[in-house]
Amino acid sequence: MKFFFILRQTFNNLWRERTPVVATVLTICIALTILIALFEVSWALYGQLSDLKSNLVIEVYLDPALSEKQAAAIQKQLEQYHTIERIRFISKETAADIFREEFGENIRDILDENPLPISFEIRLLPEYNHPGYMSLFKKQVESISGVDEVHYRHAVIEKLEQITEAIMVSGIFVLIILVFAMNLLIRNTIKLSVYAKRRQIEIMKILGAGNMLIRMPFILEGAFEGLIGGILSATGLIIMHKFIASSFTLVTYSLHTYKLIWVYTLSLGILIGLLTSAGSVGKFVNKIFSKK
Amino acid sequence: MIQFSQVTVNYGYVPGALKDINLQLRDGDFTLLIGPTGSGKSTLLRLIYMDILPSSGTVTVDKWSSYRISPRQINVLRRNIGVVFQDFKLIENMSVFDNVALPLVIEGYRRKYIIRLVRLLLDEVNMLQSERQQASTLSLGEKQRVAIARAMAKNPFVIIADEPTGNLDREASRNVLSLLERIHQNGTSVIMATHDYELIKDTPYRRIYMENGQILPPDRTFSPLNQRINLLADLQ
Ligand SMILES: Nc1ncnc2c1ncn2[C@@H]1O[C@H](COP(=O)(O)OP(=O)(O)OP(=O)(O)O)[C@@H](O)[C@H]1O
Ligand SMILES: [Mg+2]
Repeated sequence: MKFFFILRQTFNNLWRERTPVVATVLTICIALTILIALFEVSWALYGQLSDLKSNLVIEVYLDPALSEKQAAAIQKQLEQYHTIERIRFISKETAADIFREEFGENIRDILDENPLPISFEIRLLPEYNHPGYMSLFKKQVESISGVDEVHYRHAVIEKLEQITEAIMVSGIFVLIILVFAMNLLIRNTIKLSVYAKRRQIEIMKILGAGNMLIRMPFILEGAFEGLIGGILSATGLIIMHKFIASSFTLVTYSLHTYKLIWVYTLSLGILIGLLTSAGSVGKFVNKIFSKK
Repeated sequence: MIQFSQVTVNYGYVPGALKDINLQLRDGDFTLLIGPTGSGKSTLLRLIYMDILPSSGTVTVDKWSSYRISPRQINVLRRNIGVVFQDFKLIENMSVFDNVALPLVIEGYRRKYIIRLVRLLLDEVNMLQSERQQASTLSLGEKQRVAIARAMAKNPFVIIADEPTGNLDREASRNVLSLLERIHQNGTSVIMATHDYELIKDTPYRRIYMENGQILPPDRTFSPLNQRINLLADLQ
Protein backbone atom coordinates (compact mmCIF):
# COMPACT_ATOMS: atom_id res chain seq x y z
CA MET A 1 0.00 0.00 0.00
CA LYS A 2 2.88 2.30 0.84
CA PHE A 3 4.29 1.57 -2.58
CA PHE A 4 1.04 2.48 -4.33
CA PHE A 5 0.73 5.59 -2.22
CA ILE A 6 4.21 6.69 -3.29
CA LEU A 7 3.49 5.99 -6.95
CA ARG A 8 0.21 7.85 -6.83
CA GLN A 9 1.92 10.82 -5.24
CA THR A 10 4.65 10.69 -7.87
CA PHE A 11 2.20 10.83 -10.76
CA ASN A 12 0.16 13.43 -8.97
CA ASN A 13 3.28 15.60 -8.71
CA LEU A 14 4.14 15.06 -12.36
CA TRP A 15 0.66 15.98 -13.49
CA ARG A 16 0.41 18.99 -11.21
CA GLU A 17 3.71 20.44 -12.49
CA ARG A 18 3.24 19.25 -16.05
CA THR A 19 4.55 22.36 -17.80
CA PRO A 20 7.95 22.48 -16.08
CA VAL A 21 8.05 18.69 -16.25
CA VAL A 22 7.69 18.77 -20.03
CA ALA A 23 10.47 21.36 -20.29
CA THR A 24 12.68 19.23 -18.07
CA VAL A 25 11.97 16.03 -19.97
CA LEU A 26 12.81 17.72 -23.28
CA THR A 27 16.06 19.08 -21.89
CA ILE A 28 17.03 15.65 -20.59
CA CYS A 29 16.13 14.19 -23.97
CA ILE A 30 18.25 16.70 -25.88
CA ALA A 31 21.20 16.33 -23.53
CA LEU A 32 21.14 12.53 -23.72
CA THR A 33 20.74 12.59 -27.50
CA ILE A 34 23.71 14.90 -27.93
CA LEU A 35 25.77 12.87 -25.50
CA ILE A 36 25.12 9.56 -27.23
CA ALA A 37 25.37 11.02 -30.74
CA LEU A 38 28.65 12.67 -29.83
CA PHE A 39 29.94 9.42 -28.46
CA GLU A 40 28.91 7.54 -31.58
CA VAL A 41 30.24 10.08 -34.06
CA SER A 42 33.59 10.33 -32.37
CA TRP A 43 33.69 6.56 -32.07
CA ALA A 44 33.08 6.24 -35.83
CA LEU A 45 35.61 8.95 -36.67
CA TYR A 46 38.26 7.39 -34.47
CA GLY A 47 37.57 4.08 -36.14
CA GLN A 48 38.08 5.67 -39.55
CA LEU A 49 41.20 7.42 -38.37
CA SER A 50 42.87 4.34 -37.01
CA ASP A 51 41.88 2.42 -40.14
CA LEU A 52 43.48 5.06 -42.30
CA LYS A 53 46.53 5.22 -40.12
CA SER A 54 47.13 1.50 -40.07
CA ASN A 55 46.81 1.37 -43.85
CA LEU A 56 49.05 4.32 -44.32
CA VAL A 57 52.09 3.64 -46.43
CA ILE A 58 54.99 5.90 -47.15
CA GLU A 59 56.11 5.70 -50.74
CA VAL A 60 59.77 6.29 -51.40
CA TYR A 61 60.56 6.89 -55.07
CA LEU A 62 64.13 6.48 -56.18
CA ASP A 63 65.98 8.26 -58.94
CA PRO A 64 64.83 6.53 -62.20
CA ALA A 65 68.46 6.17 -63.24
CA LEU A 66 69.34 3.90 -60.32
CA SER A 67 69.97 0.22 -60.87
CA GLU A 68 68.41 -2.52 -58.74
CA LYS A 69 71.74 -3.05 -57.02
CA GLN A 70 71.98 0.56 -55.97
CA ALA A 71 68.35 0.38 -54.84
CA ALA A 72 69.16 -2.63 -52.67
CA ALA A 73 71.87 -0.58 -50.98
CA ILE A 74 69.32 2.14 -50.15
CA GLN A 75 66.96 -0.51 -48.81
CA LYS A 76 69.74 -1.71 -46.49
CA GLN A 77 70.13 1.85 -45.30
CA LEU A 78 66.39 2.20 -44.68
CA GLU A 79 66.29 -1.05 -42.78
CA GLN A 80 68.44 0.63 -40.12
CA TYR A 81 65.33 2.54 -38.97
CA HIS A 82 63.86 0.78 -35.95
CA THR A 83 60.60 2.69 -36.54
CA ILE A 84 59.82 0.74 -39.70
CA GLU A 85 57.52 -2.24 -39.54
CA ARG A 86 58.26 -3.49 -43.03
CA ILE A 87 59.55 -2.44 -46.40
CA ARG A 88 58.24 -3.66 -49.71
CA PHE A 89 60.53 -3.44 -52.66
CA ILE A 90 58.74 -2.44 -55.87
CA SER A 91 60.73 -3.05 -58.97
CA LYS A 92 60.14 -1.24 -62.26
CA GLU A 93 58.19 -4.32 -63.46
CA THR A 94 56.00 -4.51 -60.40
CA ALA A 95 55.32 -0.78 -60.70
CA ALA A 96 54.23 -1.33 -64.29
CA ASP A 97 51.94 -4.17 -63.17
CA ILE A 98 50.40 -1.94 -60.54
CA PHE A 99 49.95 0.78 -63.16
CA ARG A 100 48.17 -1.68 -65.44
CA GLU A 101 45.92 -2.82 -62.65
CA GLU A 102 44.97 0.70 -61.70
CA PHE A 103 44.64 2.30 -65.11
CA GLY A 104 43.93 -0.72 -67.30
CA GLU A 105 46.64 0.12 -69.79
CA ASN A 106 50.12 -1.12 -70.32
CA ILE A 107 52.60 1.66 -69.74
CA ARG A 108 54.98 0.05 -72.23
CA ASP A 109 52.35 0.38 -74.93
CA ILE A 110 51.99 4.10 -74.28
CA LEU A 111 55.66 4.91 -73.94
CA ASP A 112 58.31 2.81 -75.48
CA GLU A 113 60.18 2.08 -72.35
CA ASN A 114 59.16 1.77 -68.69
CA PRO A 115 59.63 5.22 -67.11
CA LEU A 116 58.48 4.13 -63.67
CA PRO A 117 61.16 4.36 -60.98
CA ILE A 118 62.02 1.73 -58.42
CA SER A 119 60.22 2.48 -55.16
CA PHE A 120 59.67 1.22 -51.65
CA GLU A 121 56.41 0.97 -49.77
CA ILE A 122 57.17 1.54 -46.13
CA ARG A 123 54.83 0.84 -43.27
CA LEU A 124 55.84 2.38 -39.95
CA LEU A 125 55.27 0.81 -36.57
CA PRO A 126 51.80 1.90 -35.29
CA GLU A 127 53.20 4.11 -32.56
CA TYR A 128 55.08 6.19 -35.17
CA ASN A 129 52.03 6.63 -37.38
CA HIS A 130 51.50 10.26 -36.58
CA PRO A 131 52.04 13.39 -38.66
CA GLY A 132 54.89 14.72 -36.52
CA TYR A 133 57.16 11.76 -36.95
CA MET A 134 56.16 11.18 -40.56
CA SER A 135 57.26 14.59 -41.71
CA LEU A 136 60.58 14.11 -39.89
CA PHE A 137 60.99 10.70 -41.50
CA LYS A 138 60.17 12.15 -44.90
CA LYS A 139 62.86 14.79 -44.53
CA GLN A 140 65.47 12.31 -43.40
CA VAL A 141 64.74 9.83 -46.16
CA GLU A 142 64.64 12.51 -48.84
CA SER A 143 68.19 13.52 -47.83
CA ILE A 144 69.51 10.05 -48.71
CA SER A 145 71.26 10.31 -52.06
CA GLY A 146 69.44 8.41 -54.78
CA VAL A 147 66.04 9.08 -53.21
CA ASP A 148 63.95 11.25 -55.43
CA GLU A 149 60.73 11.81 -53.50
CA VAL A 150 58.84 10.63 -50.39
CA HIS A 151 55.00 10.62 -50.41
CA TYR A 152 52.32 9.93 -47.91
CA ARG A 153 48.67 10.96 -47.67
CA HIS A 154 48.86 12.98 -44.52
CA ALA A 155 46.44 15.70 -45.56
CA VAL A 156 43.37 13.47 -45.24
CA ILE A 157 44.40 12.27 -41.83
CA GLU A 158 45.15 15.71 -40.53
CA LYS A 159 41.81 16.97 -41.78
CA LEU A 160 39.98 14.10 -40.16
CA GLU A 161 41.81 14.66 -36.91
CA GLN A 162 40.87 18.33 -36.96
CA ILE A 163 37.22 17.52 -37.60
CA THR A 164 37.12 14.96 -34.82
CA GLU A 165 38.66 17.41 -32.42
CA ALA A 166 36.29 20.22 -33.40
CA ILE A 167 33.26 17.97 -32.97
CA MET A 168 34.49 16.78 -29.59
CA VAL A 169 35.28 20.24 -28.26
CA SER A 170 32.07 21.91 -29.38
CA GLY A 171 30.04 18.87 -28.35
CA ILE A 172 31.50 18.83 -24.88
CA PHE A 173 30.90 22.56 -24.57
CA VAL A 174 27.23 22.20 -25.51
CA LEU A 175 26.97 19.18 -23.27
CA ILE A 176 28.29 21.04 -20.23
CA ILE A 177 25.68 23.73 -20.73
CA LEU A 178 22.95 21.11 -21.16
CA VAL A 179 23.99 19.15 -18.09
CA PHE A 180 23.86 22.36 -16.14
CA ALA A 181 20.41 23.22 -17.52
CA MET A 182 19.19 19.69 -16.90
CA ASN A 183 20.28 19.82 -13.28
CA LEU A 184 18.66 23.21 -12.80
CA LEU A 185 15.35 22.13 -14.37
CA ILE A 186 15.08 18.83 -12.50
CA ARG A 187 15.74 20.61 -9.22
CA ASN A 188 13.20 23.25 -10.19
CA THR A 189 10.37 20.74 -10.75
CA ILE A 190 11.20 19.03 -7.47
CA LYS A 191 11.19 22.37 -5.70
CA LEU A 192 7.82 23.31 -7.20
CA SER A 193 6.33 19.95 -6.25
CA VAL A 194 7.63 20.10 -2.70
CA TYR A 195 6.32 23.62 -2.36
CA ALA A 196 2.90 22.66 -3.73
CA LYS A 197 2.77 19.76 -1.29
CA ARG A 198 4.08 21.64 1.73
CA ARG A 199 0.85 21.32 3.67
CA GLN A 200 0.57 17.63 2.93
CA ILE A 201 4.18 17.13 4.01
CA GLU A 202 3.49 19.00 7.22
CA ILE A 203 0.44 16.82 7.92
CA MET A 204 2.31 13.62 7.14
CA LYS A 205 5.05 14.64 9.55
CA ILE A 206 2.53 15.22 12.32
CA LEU A 207 1.20 11.73 11.61
CA GLY A 208 4.71 10.33 12.05
CA ALA A 209 5.71 9.66 8.44
CA GLY A 210 9.42 8.96 7.98
CA ASN A 211 11.76 10.71 5.57
CA MET A 212 11.58 7.82 3.13
CA LEU A 213 7.83 8.07 2.62
CA ILE A 214 7.89 11.86 2.45
CA ARG A 215 10.78 12.16 0.02
CA MET A 216 10.27 9.13 -2.20
CA PRO A 217 7.53 10.60 -4.43
CA PHE A 218 9.79 13.54 -5.29
CA ILE A 219 12.80 11.34 -5.90
CA LEU A 220 10.74 9.13 -8.19
CA GLU A 221 9.41 12.24 -9.90
CA GLY A 222 12.97 13.09 -10.95
CA ALA A 223 13.69 9.50 -11.95
CA PHE A 224 10.53 9.42 -14.04
CA GLU A 225 11.50 12.61 -15.83
CA GLY A 226 14.83 10.96 -16.61
CA LEU A 227 13.09 7.81 -17.80
CA ILE A 228 10.81 9.67 -20.22
CA GLY A 229 13.70 11.84 -21.39
CA GLY A 230 15.65 8.63 -22.02
CA ILE A 231 12.83 6.97 -23.96
CA LEU A 232 12.38 10.04 -26.19
CA SER A 233 16.12 10.29 -26.70
CA ALA A 234 16.47 6.61 -27.64
CA THR A 235 13.58 6.92 -30.09
CA GLY A 236 15.12 10.01 -31.66
CA LEU A 237 18.54 8.42 -31.90
CA ILE A 238 17.20 5.30 -33.55
CA ILE A 239 15.23 7.32 -36.10
CA MET A 240 18.38 9.34 -36.80
CA HIS A 241 20.32 6.11 -37.17
CA LYS A 242 17.96 4.72 -39.76
CA PHE A 243 18.08 8.00 -41.64
CA ILE A 244 21.86 8.36 -41.52
CA ALA A 245 22.59 4.71 -42.13
CA SER A 246 20.61 4.79 -45.34
CA SER A 247 22.58 7.74 -46.69
CA PHE A 248 26.08 6.97 -45.37
CA THR A 249 27.97 3.77 -45.17
CA LEU A 250 30.23 5.30 -42.56
CA VAL A 251 27.81 4.58 -39.73
CA THR A 252 27.21 0.93 -39.17
CA TYR A 253 24.14 -0.08 -37.27
CA SER A 254 22.47 -3.23 -36.10
CA LEU A 255 19.92 -4.46 -33.62
CA HIS A 256 22.78 -4.74 -31.20
CA THR A 257 23.43 -1.00 -31.52
CA TYR A 258 19.76 -0.27 -30.85
CA LYS A 259 19.81 -2.36 -27.73
CA LEU A 260 22.85 -0.46 -26.53
CA ILE A 261 21.19 2.88 -27.26
CA TRP A 262 18.19 1.87 -25.15
CA VAL A 263 20.40 0.68 -22.33
CA TYR A 264 22.55 3.82 -22.31
CA THR A 265 19.81 6.45 -22.63
CA LEU A 266 17.45 4.81 -20.16
CA SER A 267 20.03 4.06 -17.50
CA LEU A 268 21.69 7.46 -17.87
CA GLY A 269 18.34 9.28 -17.83
CA ILE A 270 17.04 7.47 -14.77
CA LEU A 271 20.35 7.81 -12.97
CA ILE A 272 20.59 11.55 -13.62
CA GLY A 273 16.97 12.16 -12.60
CA LEU A 274 17.27 9.99 -9.52
CA LEU A 275 20.52 11.43 -8.25
CA THR A 276 19.56 15.04 -8.92
CA SER A 277 16.20 14.78 -7.17
CA ALA A 278 17.52 12.63 -4.34
CA GLY A 279 20.29 15.13 -3.81
CA SER A 280 17.98 18.14 -3.56
CA VAL A 281 14.65 17.01 -2.10
CA GLY A 282 15.91 16.99 1.50
CA LYS A 283 17.04 20.57 1.21
CA PHE A 284 13.70 21.76 -0.20
CA VAL A 285 11.69 19.90 2.45
CA ASN A 286 13.81 21.30 5.24
CA LYS A 287 13.53 24.80 3.79
CA ILE A 288 9.75 24.73 4.15
CA PHE A 289 9.99 23.89 7.81
CA SER A 290 12.79 26.21 8.75
CA LYS A 291 10.53 29.14 7.85
CA LYS A 292 7.90 28.01 10.32
CA MET B 1 1.11 8.65 31.40
CA ILE B 2 2.19 12.08 30.29
CA GLN B 3 4.41 14.08 32.57
CA PHE B 4 5.83 17.60 32.40
CA SER B 5 8.63 18.44 34.81
CA GLN B 6 9.92 21.97 35.04
CA VAL B 7 9.17 22.57 31.39
CA THR B 8 10.00 25.92 29.87
CA VAL B 9 9.49 26.83 26.23
CA ASN B 10 10.97 29.87 24.52
CA TYR B 11 10.21 30.50 20.88
CA GLY B 12 13.42 31.83 19.40
CA TYR B 13 14.36 34.84 21.46
CA VAL B 14 10.82 35.31 22.78
CA PRO B 15 10.91 33.82 26.27
CA GLY B 16 8.18 32.30 28.35
CA ALA B 17 5.62 30.71 26.05
CA LEU B 18 5.59 28.17 28.88
CA LYS B 19 7.18 28.80 32.26
CA ASP B 20 8.19 26.03 34.63
CA ILE B 21 5.27 23.70 33.94
CA ASN B 22 4.82 20.67 36.22
CA LEU B 23 1.91 18.49 35.26
CA GLN B 24 0.84 14.88 35.25
CA LEU B 25 -1.88 13.44 33.03
CA ARG B 26 -2.98 9.95 33.88
CA ASP B 27 -3.95 7.34 31.33
CA GLY B 28 -7.64 7.18 30.64
CA ASP B 29 -8.38 10.72 31.77
CA PHE B 30 -10.32 13.32 29.85
CA THR B 31 -8.49 16.59 30.44
CA LEU B 32 -9.61 20.05 29.43
CA LEU B 33 -7.05 22.76 28.84
CA ILE B 34 -8.66 26.14 29.26
CA GLY B 35 -7.16 29.58 28.88
CA PRO B 36 -7.22 32.75 26.85
CA THR B 37 -5.46 33.27 23.53
CA GLY B 38 -1.70 33.18 23.85
CA SER B 39 -1.76 31.46 27.25
CA GLY B 40 0.26 28.51 25.91
CA LYS B 41 -2.31 25.77 25.33
CA SER B 42 -1.12 24.87 21.85
CA THR B 43 2.48 25.04 22.97
CA LEU B 44 1.78 22.54 25.73
CA LEU B 45 0.02 20.18 23.32
CA ARG B 46 2.78 20.44 20.72
CA LEU B 47 5.21 19.26 23.37
CA ILE B 48 3.22 16.05 23.74
CA TYR B 49 3.55 15.01 20.09
CA MET B 50 7.03 16.53 20.13
CA ASP B 51 6.41 19.01 17.36
CA ILE B 52 8.61 21.16 19.58
CA LEU B 53 10.98 20.11 22.35
CA PRO B 54 11.21 21.96 25.67
CA SER B 55 13.85 24.66 26.06
CA SER B 56 14.46 23.22 29.51
CA GLY B 57 12.84 20.50 31.59
CA THR B 58 11.52 17.17 30.40
CA VAL B 59 8.33 15.93 28.83
CA THR B 60 7.67 12.23 29.18
CA VAL B 61 4.99 10.61 27.03
CA ASP B 62 4.39 6.95 27.75
CA LYS B 63 7.84 5.37 27.26
CA TRP B 64 9.32 8.31 25.35
CA SER B 65 11.22 11.13 26.97
CA SER B 66 11.99 14.45 25.34
CA TYR B 67 15.32 14.39 27.11
CA ARG B 68 16.86 12.04 24.58
CA ILE B 69 14.78 11.16 21.59
CA SER B 70 15.84 10.53 18.01
CA PRO B 71 13.86 11.87 15.04
CA ARG B 72 12.97 8.28 14.22
CA GLN B 73 11.56 7.69 17.68
CA ILE B 74 9.58 10.94 17.45
CA ASN B 75 7.91 9.47 14.36
CA VAL B 76 7.13 6.27 16.26
CA LEU B 77 5.68 8.33 19.12
CA ARG B 78 3.48 10.32 16.72
CA ARG B 79 2.12 7.14 15.21
CA ASN B 80 0.90 6.21 18.67
CA ILE B 81 -0.87 9.52 19.29
CA GLY B 82 -4.00 10.86 17.64
CA VAL B 83 -4.10 14.57 16.89
CA VAL B 84 -7.08 16.79 16.03
CA PHE B 85 -6.80 20.46 15.15
CA GLN B 86 -8.96 23.52 14.83
CA ASP B 87 -8.11 23.70 11.12
CA PHE B 88 -8.58 19.91 10.69
CA LYS B 89 -5.30 19.43 8.80
CA LEU B 90 -6.88 17.20 6.20
CA ILE B 91 -5.27 16.80 2.81
CA GLU B 92 -7.85 18.73 0.87
CA ASN B 93 -7.31 17.21 -2.57
CA MET B 94 -7.55 13.65 -1.29
CA SER B 95 -10.71 11.66 -0.70
CA VAL B 96 -12.19 11.15 2.74
CA PHE B 97 -11.12 7.53 2.53
CA ASP B 98 -7.50 8.36 1.67
CA ASN B 99 -7.27 10.90 4.47
CA VAL B 100 -8.35 8.38 7.08
CA ALA B 101 -6.14 5.73 5.49
CA LEU B 102 -3.04 7.92 5.68
CA PRO B 103 -1.84 6.90 9.18
CA LEU B 104 -2.35 3.26 8.20
CA VAL B 105 -0.39 3.71 4.97
CA ILE B 106 2.38 5.39 6.95
CA GLU B 107 2.42 2.40 9.29
CA GLY B 108 2.79 0.14 6.25
CA TYR B 109 -0.38 -1.91 6.69
CA ARG B 110 -1.72 -4.13 3.95
CA ARG B 111 -4.37 -2.82 1.58
CA LYS B 112 -7.07 -5.29 2.53
CA TYR B 113 -6.72 -4.49 6.18
CA ILE B 114 -6.69 -0.74 5.52
CA ILE B 115 -9.92 -0.86 3.53
CA ARG B 116 -11.75 -2.75 6.27
CA LEU B 117 -10.45 -0.56 9.05
CA VAL B 118 -11.12 2.76 7.30
CA ARG B 119 -14.72 1.75 6.60
CA LEU B 120 -15.23 0.88 10.27
CA LEU B 121 -13.76 4.20 11.36
CA LEU B 122 -15.84 6.21 8.91
CA ASP B 123 -18.92 4.38 10.06
CA GLU B 124 -18.13 5.30 13.66
CA VAL B 125 -18.05 9.01 12.85
CA ASN B 126 -21.04 8.64 10.55
CA MET B 127 -19.10 9.59 7.39
CA LEU B 128 -19.09 6.29 5.51
CA GLN B 129 -21.50 7.61 2.89
CA SER B 130 -18.92 10.27 1.92
CA GLU B 131 -15.85 8.04 1.66
CA ARG B 132 -15.23 8.86 -2.00
CA GLN B 133 -15.83 12.57 -1.65
CA GLN B 134 -12.87 14.92 -1.81
CA ALA B 135 -12.07 16.40 1.61
CA SER B 136 -12.34 19.96 0.29
CA THR B 137 -16.03 19.50 -0.48
CA LEU B 138 -17.05 18.65 3.10
CA SER B 139 -18.70 20.96 5.59
CA LEU B 140 -16.54 22.03 8.51
CA GLY B 141 -18.32 19.71 10.94
CA GLU B 142 -17.85 16.80 8.54
CA LYS B 143 -14.18 17.65 8.13
CA GLN B 144 -13.64 17.46 11.86
CA ARG B 145 -15.40 14.12 12.05
CA VAL B 146 -13.12 12.78 9.32
CA ALA B 147 -10.12 14.19 11.21
CA ILE B 148 -11.26 12.40 14.34
CA ALA B 149 -11.63 9.14 12.42
CA ARG B 150 -8.07 9.61 11.18
CA ALA B 151 -6.85 10.29 14.71
CA MET B 152 -8.53 7.08 15.86
CA ALA B 153 -7.13 4.96 13.05
CA LYS B 154 -4.15 3.62 14.93
CA ASN B 155 -6.10 3.11 18.14
CA PRO B 156 -3.83 5.57 19.98
CA PHE B 157 -3.49 5.64 23.74
CA VAL B 158 -4.12 9.37 23.73
CA ILE B 159 -5.95 11.86 21.52
CA ILE B 160 -4.81 15.45 21.53
CA ALA B 161 -7.38 17.95 20.37
CA ASP B 162 -6.31 21.57 19.99
CA GLU B 163 -9.50 23.64 19.88
CA PRO B 164 -11.29 21.04 17.79
CA THR B 165 -14.52 23.05 17.86
CA GLY B 166 -12.91 26.42 17.21
CA ASN B 167 -14.32 26.70 13.69
CA LEU B 168 -17.60 24.88 14.26
CA ASP B 169 -21.13 25.96 15.04
CA ARG B 170 -22.92 24.87 18.18
CA GLU B 171 -24.42 21.68 16.83
CA ALA B 172 -21.24 20.51 15.13
CA SER B 173 -19.27 21.36 18.27
CA ARG B 174 -21.54 19.23 20.43
CA ASN B 175 -21.25 16.45 17.89
CA VAL B 176 -17.43 16.58 18.04
CA LEU B 177 -17.38 16.70 21.84
CA SER B 178 -19.67 13.69 22.11
CA LEU B 179 -17.46 11.81 19.65
CA LEU B 180 -14.43 12.55 21.83
CA GLU B 181 -16.39 11.48 24.91
CA ARG B 182 -17.24 8.20 23.25
CA ILE B 183 -13.60 7.63 22.41
CA HIS B 184 -12.73 8.38 26.02
CA GLN B 185 -15.28 5.89 27.24
CA ASN B 186 -13.49 3.23 25.22
CA GLY B 187 -10.37 3.81 27.29
CA THR B 188 -8.40 6.37 25.29
CA SER B 189 -7.06 9.44 27.06
CA VAL B 190 -8.26 12.73 25.62
CA ILE B 191 -6.60 16.10 26.09
CA MET B 192 -8.60 18.94 24.66
CA ALA B 193 -7.71 22.61 24.57
CA THR B 194 -10.59 24.98 24.19
CA HIS B 195 -11.85 28.45 24.89
CA ASP B 196 -15.41 27.41 24.35
CA TYR B 197 -16.43 27.46 27.99
CA GLU B 198 -20.10 27.11 27.16
CA LEU B 199 -19.46 23.80 25.46
CA ILE B 200 -17.67 22.16 28.37
CA LYS B 201 -19.15 23.88 31.40
CA ASP B 202 -21.38 20.96 32.37
CA THR B 203 -18.77 18.26 31.84
CA PRO B 204 -17.23 16.48 34.84
CA TYR B 205 -13.68 16.35 33.40
CA ARG B 206 -10.47 17.59 34.90
CA ARG B 207 -9.82 21.23 33.99
CA ILE B 208 -6.45 22.82 33.75
CA TYR B 209 -6.49 26.58 33.55
CA MET B 210 -3.63 28.32 31.84
CA GLU B 211 -2.67 31.94 31.73
CA ASN B 212 0.45 33.63 30.44
CA GLY B 213 2.44 30.43 30.01
CA GLN B 214 1.63 29.09 33.43
CA ILE B 215 -0.86 26.67 34.97
CA LEU B 216 -3.05 28.38 37.54
CA PRO B 217 -3.24 26.64 40.91
CA PRO B 218 -6.70 25.20 41.62
CA ASP B 219 -7.55 27.84 44.22
CA ARG B 220 -6.67 30.63 41.79
CA THR B 221 -8.68 29.06 39.05
CA PHE B 222 -11.08 31.94 39.06
CA SER B 223 -8.63 34.70 38.46
CA PRO B 224 -10.18 37.92 37.22
CA LEU B 225 -9.41 36.95 33.68
CA ASN B 226 -10.96 33.52 33.95
CA GLN B 227 -13.93 34.98 35.76
CA ARG B 228 -14.40 37.25 32.82
CA ILE B 229 -14.18 34.33 30.37
CA ASN B 230 -16.66 32.34 32.37
CA LEU B 231 -18.97 35.26 32.76
CA LEU B 232 -18.93 35.99 29.04
CA ALA B 233 -19.59 32.36 28.30
CA ASP B 234 -22.48 32.24 30.71
CA LEU B 235 -24.00 35.35 29.21
CA GLN B 236 -24.05 33.89 25.69
N1 LIG C 1 5.87 29.63 16.36
C1 LIG C 1 5.90 30.61 17.30
N2 LIG C 1 6.90 31.52 17.27
C2 LIG C 1 6.95 32.50 18.19
N3 LIG C 1 6.08 32.64 19.18
C3 LIG C 1 5.05 31.77 19.27
C4 LIG C 1 4.92 30.70 18.33
N4 LIG C 1 3.82 29.98 18.65
C5 LIG C 1 3.31 30.57 19.75
N5 LIG C 1 4.03 31.65 20.12
C6 LIG C 1 3.79 32.49 21.28
O1 LIG C 1 3.78 31.67 22.43
C7 LIG C 1 2.71 32.05 23.29
C8 LIG C 1 1.79 30.87 23.52
O2 LIG C 1 1.17 30.55 22.28
P1 LIG C 1 0.14 29.36 22.08
O3 LIG C 1 -0.12 29.23 20.65
O4 LIG C 1 0.66 28.18 22.81
O5 LIG C 1 -1.15 29.91 22.84
P2 LIG C 1 -2.63 29.31 22.81
O6 LIG C 1 -3.04 29.25 24.23
O7 LIG C 1 -2.68 28.09 22.02
O8 LIG C 1 -3.40 30.46 22.09
P3 LIG C 1 -4.70 30.34 21.13
O9 LIG C 1 -5.86 30.18 22.02
O10 LIG C 1 -4.71 31.64 20.40
O11 LIG C 1 -4.46 29.17 20.25
C9 LIG C 1 2.03 33.23 22.64
O12 LIG C 1 2.55 34.40 23.23
C10 LIG C 1 2.43 33.15 21.20
O13 LIG C 1 2.54 34.43 20.65
MG1 LIG D 1 -3.66 27.49 20.24
